[in-house]
Amino acid sequence: MCVSPCKRICVSSFHAFPDMTCQLSRRPRPSNENSLPPRSTDHNKLIDTPQNLDSGQLETRESNSKSDLSAVSMSDICLLLQMDDIDAMFSDLLGEMDLLTQSLEQETAAPTSLPTTTTTTTNNNKEVNFSIFTDLNESLHELEDTDLDALMADLVADLNATEEKLAAEIQGLKVPSPPPPDLPPPPKGLSAHHPASPASPAGSTGSNVSTPASSSASSPLPPPPPQSTKPTKEEIEAQMKADKIKLALEKLKEAKVKKLVVKVLLNDGSSKTLMVDERQNVREVLDNLFEKTHCDCNVDWSLCETNPELQLERAFEDHENLVEPLLAWTRDSENKILFKERGEKYEVFKNPQTFYLWKKDNKALKAIKDKDKEILIKENFCGTSAIVPDLEAVLHLKEDGKKSWRQRLFQLRASGIYYVPKGKTKSSRDLVCFLQFDNVNVYYGKDFKGKYKAPTDFCFLLKHPQIQKDSQYIKYLCCDDACTMNLWVTGIRIAKYGASLYENFKTAEKRAAVSSVWTNRSAPSCSNPSTPSPTIKVSTTFVHFLFMMRYLLSSLSPQDVGGVPPPPPPPPPLPSTSTFPPSPPEPVFAPPPPPLAAKSSPKPAFPQQHPPPNFPLPPPPAMDFPPPPPLPPIADHSEAPPDFLPPPPPSFGSLSPLPPLPGKSLPPPPPPCFRRMDQSLPPPPPDPGFLPPPPPPPAPTAAPSAAVRPSGSVRKMPPPPPKRTTPTLPAGGGGGGGGEGGGGDFMSELMKAMQKKRSVP
Amino acid sequence: HASGGSERWDLSVTVEDLGPDAPPVTLSVTSDLHVGGVILRLVEKTQIKRDWSDHAIWWEQKQRWLLRTSWTLEKYGIHADARLLYMPQHKPLKLGLPNGITLRLHACFSSPVFQTLMGICRMLNIRHPEELSLLRPLEEKKKKKDKDSAEEIYDLTEVPRSSVSRPCLYNGMPAHFADSPKMEAIYKMLSVTQPPPAPEVVAKQYRPASVVDKAHINGRWLDSSRCLIQQGIRENDRLWLRFKYFAFYDIEPKYDVVRLTQLYEQARWSILLEDIDCTEEEMMLFGALQYHISKVSQSEDLSFVVKLKHVTICFRPKKLTLKGYKQYWFKFQDTSISYYKSKEESIGEPIQQINLRGCEVAPDVNMAAQKFLIRLLIPAPEGMNEVYLRCENEQQYAQWMAACRLASKGKSLADSSFQSEIKSIHSFLAMQRTNPSSHGNTPANDESINTHSLVSPRYHKKYKTKQLTPRILDAYQNVAQLSLTDALTRFLQIWQALPDFGLSYIVVRFKGSRKDEVLGIAPNRLIRIDLGVGDVVKTWRYNNMKQWNVNWDIRQMAIEFEGNVNIAFSCVTADCKIVHEFIGGYIFMSTRSREKSDTLNEELFHKLTGGHEAL
Repeated sequence: MCVSPCKRICVSSFHAFPDMTCQLSRRPRPSNENSLPPRSTDHNKLIDTPQNLDSGQLETRESNSKSDLSAVSMSDICLLLQMDDIDAMFSDLLGEMDLLTQSLEQETAAPTSLPTTTTTTTNNNKEVNFSIFTDLNESLHELEDTDLDALMADLVADLNATEEKLAAEIQGLKVPSPPPPDLPPPPKGLSAHHPASPASPAGSTGSNVSTPASSSASSPLPPPPPQSTKPTKEEIEAQMKADKIKLALEKLKEAKVKKLVVKVLLNDGSSKTLMVDERQNVREVLDNLFEKTHCDCNVDWSLCETNPELQLERAFEDHENLVEPLLAWTRDSENKILFKERGEKYEVFKNPQTFYLWKKDNKALKAIKDKDKEILIKENFCGTSAIVPDLEAVLHLKEDGKKSWRQRLFQLRASGIYYVPKGKTKSSRDLVCFLQFDNVNVYYGKDFKGKYKAPTDFCFLLKHPQIQKDSQYIKYLCCDDACTMNLWVTGIRIAKYGASLYENFKTAEKRAAVSSVWTNRSAPSCSNPSTPSPTIKVSTTFVHFLFMMRYLLSSLSPQDVGGVPPPPPPPPPLPSTSTFPPSPPEPVFAPPPPPLAAKSSPKPAFPQQHPPPNFPLPPPPAMDFPPPPPLPPIADHSEAPPDFLPPPPPSFGSLSPLPPLPGKSLPPPPPPCFRRMDQSLPPPPPDPGFLPPPPPPPAPTAAPSAAVRPSGSVRKMPPPPPKRTTPTLPAGGGGGGGGEGGGGDFMSELMKAMQKKRSVP
Repeated sequence: HASGGSERWDLSVTVEDLGPDAPPVTLSVTSDLHVGGVILRLVEKTQIKRDWSDHAIWWEQKQRWLLRTSWTLEKYGIHADARLLYMPQHKPLKLGLPNGITLRLHACFSSPVFQTLMGICRMLNIRHPEELSLLRPLEEKKKKKDKDSAEEIYDLTEVPRSSVSRPCLYNGMPAHFADSPKMEAIYKMLSVTQPPPAPEVVAKQYRPASVVDKAHINGRWLDSSRCLIQQGIRENDRLWLRFKYFAFYDIEPKYDVVRLTQLYEQARWSILLEDIDCTEEEMMLFGALQYHISKVSQSEDLSFVVKLKHVTICFRPKKLTLKGYKQYWFKFQDTSISYYKSKEESIGEPIQQINLRGCEVAPDVNMAAQKFLIRLLIPAPEGMNEVYLRCENEQQYAQWMAACRLASKGKSLADSSFQSEIKSIHSFLAMQRTNPSSHGNTPANDESINTHSLVSPRYHKKYKTKQLTPRILDAYQNVAQLSLTDALTRFLQIWQALPDFGLSYIVVRFKGSRKDEVLGIAPNRLIRIDLGVGDVVKTWRYNNMKQWNVNWDIRQMAIEFEGNVNIAFSCVTADCKIVHEFIGGYIFMSTRSREKSDTLNEELFHKLTGGHEAL
């Protein structure tokens, strides 16, 4: 080894991690930009071009056969069940046919008379159907007029799309069917029979969607037989049959998509009703609600589930699917879904030091620089797996079945919550596993001091999402202060969801940035004049649809194995070239947000290049870190309230031109005094879930049920909550056949409600 | 001494290739002769015809290679008394891999270890060599020496140096591994995980019992700035190749087969030898993953070939018993089970239909007592319902258990994993059946893995195989569906999520303190552990670090953090160069970025880790 002349050597100064800040500054990623088509300022265009509509709710729901619309209602949810086998579907369709004719005959009849009528027409499950229909009435009455319109538009859109697709498919089937023995069918025939061809212009539909939905209609077409080979008749028939079966299977698959009509409570006591299908995640639903409520779209907006019986609340994570947890609710559930801001939702990305450096004192935490925050986020969320904060605290644990609480030293690890047994060390191998996260969710508890004699009100609990009532399988934990509670709840969420949380945050941040641009740009817009009659539309479409289904099903019957397929169905009573509802879009279909590229959210430019490493000796005292960027979410949060205010009524109307009585039917926009949460505080005390402000604001009642249902009569006959495990069909049917025969009535109910509403003015 | 340069004197150089007993070759030289000239005359004099391109002169007294051939003897300061050795720069080395296998390969003895390592990693197809380093092995006991000779050594010394620099890959494998079946076998050893070791093998290995024990291991790292021979490493010596910096950059399973496999092996052994602490639940999960990985990697080809035919929805007649020993007729459909009073009534309405989605499925099996129970915890609004299904025999149990497990994850019997699930349940049952006394046999053989091979020796004592197997099986159901890569990644993720992950310990003496304490070095921070308390008393993060200094004379490190925080310590169990290199190395790791990931900034690494040699 050389002997250095230098006795004391300063090896290196310490430069920041420039790459780190670079990487962070690159979010939001541009990759998603394409998904947001440029926003048109011309609102008329929205109706003309289906592409625009497509980017709304429609694309997630595509077409659904009518048969899945049998309805079961929970207090706030209409469960749309799926049919499982062809027989059931067929009989269901026939039943619906009958119901439809009947309901058309007695349009003026009181809705209460319906249950009796329907029970006579359906052949089985009388009891079940009865209760379902009672419930259906309730839920329909509960809907506000606008909601009804919106729902109607949704359904019509669904029906039209299905009809469209079916027509296309049947036409497609017809083409190769009667092949001349040695002449393969000319491929031209395909386009000639194509229903999507512009040959059939809109007739009585009143549809102002002029572009045929060729893209959606053509995709399921079976490929034409290859021209070069000369298939034998048998082969062709076999092929046809196979195609038909395939088609039917596809239909069944589609029919299986579960949908819920969900009522979401807003902070001002009003509510929004939307249809959610099981493929939609919470992020998409939030985006819908943003369009509907014109809120400021900041990252704190959350969808929360409350359970008054257990006094708990949980914000759904943005990547979760909404339908699944809602299906766990019991039928007599008082649970609510709230749309509100929750500062703690993404607090960990705004102030990661609170969670990852919790052991440090407050002063040190407050002094932390933005650059250090970004490093913390990168370290903990951008590695191979998210790192769970190593929490350790004495928490109070509620003892099973008792109202006593006992203290234990708990530790949070990625693999679960552990506690240190009495007289043991904190060494990993001595830890006792209290709980693992695979099957449980974490919830905030409300007023457990009162309910369970908890030492403090800062409680959280862990339970399987299916559990809806007090049970020994629910673990209740109580913290000394709000800070500890948030630390633990967030820590558990990180352990459970990992990097998805960060992905969600980035998406939410991006969405907030886009919307802030949009609100700045929004100009007064013209209203839309078109208001076709959805009532007529639905009934005719529906009849047509039934014909289609009948035809399709009969063509599958064994009799036609060797023969020529039956003639095509009677010409549709309505030309059905449109995939889209004739009615203009409701707020859900609001114009797409502006392109991301245009966003103006402040993002300081970082040097993308790592500066050539240069380590002066001795190091300069001044650090050359890049200037810390202002964290976008925080910036959003601290923005002045004006952004938060809903646009004035005129622009409101332009987005949802359908309601005939805009002033009356639209839910009031959130008032300017809309409560804002302090970002560092846990959920605020007054919660709509427990003290819900009823739609007519000035009547706060103690009974939560009365608050949500203005018509007190609806609670008179609550359906017996059937056990989830009890089958509702006698044989063959899988889960979910219980609503058989209900679909038609749901539709006619809807129509009736529409008629009634229309006759009011 | 006269410096004229025209004066001739005798320089003697030992030429290694002439044999150990051959006398040194003596050359008559002048001081202005450059090293290249010396080599040329040396080669001429030996009269050996061979490729001398790898040879260079080593100056023994000064512990220095004379690699600058244009330098004169005078410039190097070489006189007649210099003991010079002419030898190849690349020499064979025995290299212990993380998976426990020993390789023999040519390593460069003349370049800094960092470069030597880069060469080794290139040969083995391991990306990001900066994360690894070489470690002196633990001294082995004398009596084990004779056993060593029997140890199988995979020989890579035949690989020509030129081919290693060839970047081309052949079937995802470096070209030099494609040369012969023997070479292919070596590549397979590198890239496929080893079967679980026999429990005795694990028990015999050295296990650090305390933080101080772990700290001693870190005193064995080689200095990256100096070459092997300077650190006393000789031809055919044994070294360990290990991941040193626990900041694994950009792991890409497609290109990182060997890297991923070896990283897994190192992680697995750190768990088995309790080098890193974990809870019992975590140990069971690690065990389950090891089991799964060993199964999948052994039958990798099979598992993809065995494609399942469509499974019919209904099972053959089953008679199952509920708690209380009542018989019902059971039907499995989609993700639900329905039961009926009898087969005849199964056309009608079931007594109950239970949807298993989201439920917990646990085995309760005793092969000796022929007890085959499936315990179901079914979530309901009121809480969890506990249900036991009693199966008649192993076959029925395996099918129903597999079906229940799939259903709990929302998958139906039509799912492609159904058959493999049944298979793995069978093999777990087989493990219970095997006589625990026979576990000395080779554990690798498919169905007969001894579950003691999957956990640390602590649990050999705590649980009998019979007790351990169901616990691992329990954890196994959450990982049984994973592909090999996913399972490896999952193992590493759980390993990295352990609270003590990434900590390298050094016993130090803080300035002003009279007792030994432990410094923990992590990828993002330093921690101070009080040996008395046994707990972390202080944490310093690198991103708050302003500078650090090494006083090489008193072997003390001083670090300054933001906010006028200064710490200083001397190192007890490791040279302060090792500590310095750890810290500088982690700083280096954090400067890596995607756009430059292909080119390793060697210069920066040396600047950050080198100390005064780098000047």
